[in-house]
Amino acid sequence: MALANVVIVGAGFAGHTAALYLGDELGKKHKVTVVNKYDYFGYVPSWVWVGVGTMDPGKTTFPLAPVYRRKNVDFVHGVATEVHPDENYVLAEPLDETGPVRLDYDYLIIATGPKLDFGATPGLGPQAGYTYSICTRDHAIQSRDAYLELVSRLEKGESQTIVVGTGHPAATCQGAAFEYITNIHKDLLRRKLRDKVELIWLSNEHEVGDFGVRGIQVRRKGGIETSEEFIGALFDEYGITWFVQRGVQRVEPGVIHWEDFEGNYGTTEFDFAMLVPKFSGISLKYIGADGQDASEGVVNQAGFVLVDATYGLDYETLTRSPEAWPGRYQNRNYPNIFAAGIAFAPPGPISKPHVTPNGTSITAAPPRTGMVSGIIGRLVAKNVAQMITKGRMTHHERMTDMPAACIASMGDSLWDGSAATIVMYPVVPDPIRFPNEEGRDLFVAHMEMGLSGAWMKRMLHTTFMYKLKARPGWKIIPE
Amino acid sequence: MQFTDRDRFWMRNKPFQFVRFVALNLKILKAVNRSKRA
Repeated sequence: MALANVVIVGAGFAGHTAALYLGDELGKKHKVTVVNKYDYFGYVPSWVWVGVGTMDPGKTTFPLAPVYRRKNVDFVHGVATEVHPDENYVLAEPLDETGPVRLDYDYLIIATGPKLDFGATPGLGPQAGYTYSICTRDHAIQSRDAYLELVSRLEKGESQTIVVGTGHPAATCQGAAFEYITNIHKDLLRRKLRDKVELIWLSNEHEVGDFGVRGIQVRRKGGIETSEEFIGALFDEYGITWFVQRGVQRVEPGVIHWEDFEGNYGTTEFDFAMLVPKFSGISLKYIGADGQDASEGVVNQAGFVLVDATYGLDYETLTRSPEAWPGRYQNRNYPNIFAAGIAFAPPGPISKPHVTPNGTSITAAPPRTGMVSGIIGRLVAKNVAQMITKGRMTHHERMTDMPAACIASMGDSLWDGSAATIVMYPVVPDPIRFPNEEGRDLFVAHMEMGLSGAWMKRMLHTTFMYKLKARPGWKIIPE
Repeated sequence: MQFTDRDRFWMRNKPFQFVRFVALNLKILKAVNRSKRA
């Protein structure tokens, strides 16, 4: 069998999971190369704890190179800049400034994660704006420093306003923002400063508790309880003021400007704000054999990789078409290019879209992080390994087939912490297999809050760090 | 919906929460097994 080259761009949940499975299955017989701009893996779900100063950032990362050495995976610490899909190679710029390297591939997996598009909202973000983010480790550290500075002002007797939520009408990742605001609440309680702070939730969700997945419904006491009721009650319990159906338009020092579903414009003042930006695809150049731009055949306008989904359906049709969601994450024009995690272009939103009378679309984008990213990373890796060893691939899993568990902690204490645990199946409702109003399996769907969730969250941190370091038995732990 | 004193008591009750911890693990494994895990 001829030596095959597989190149993976990105080493987040999707790319790193794919690298581990490919290294494991292809071993020394073939060549697997990962290009990543960071030389460490970052366990994103724990950055909410970094952002309030309750976890050391070092506990959320580990170096990639030693793991890849054990798994026979080559590692380029650098940035991929160009993809030449007709000639099957990637150009990467190593960060040690040794000059660009050409990585030829038989199969390419694009798992870059998102570009944090702070520029889409003027005044947003920690670099050129007035808000903070917890989307990268460094952003979480910056948030922590700003938050602790605010705490010192509170200790001097000042009152402050903290706003957490989404920073663009099409933002996603409401779950992470939700977890951040509940951790701030818990930390302020611990410091006996909670009464000096007004905590505000500001989001583009259709309803509170929507989380970009059209909410969750569970059976309880003979009826149906919704995440809208559950999260609304939780915010009330914690004294968090919440506003949804608002798309942030721009941020000025201390003032967030937004537009709501009815087309009204308004402002929210803040002393500290953490707003999740819009996600776009990473700015890779796709260059054809003729030297011209070939991106049209690979990515959509937002830079996400087009895969085996049915694009262009209206929302109502999409909600009735589970088969429109991709199953192999394979580009149709270049079948040796796959995408995993946030990098793939979904066929549309899961949450109900909304356009204001002013023509602004305020629609939560579908989340494709964490568990979903890991599952897709494994699936793509297994298919690529099969193509190389058997010449065909058999693995197939749509987001209408995938489960997701979301554990939103409120503090990291194993003694008096708490967490909301939410389990759903499938992530994207499938009204054909589950012909109820929710389109989900109500025997699996679950929501509860309590100390057990805090234990779950800590257990997941420990077991995932173990798994992703490829320690013995790592494959037994599900993504 | 709103949380009652009874809810708050059980959310913090450690023996009960240990049982819930085991149940939640089983719940998540059930969800994983329902999927294709191709």
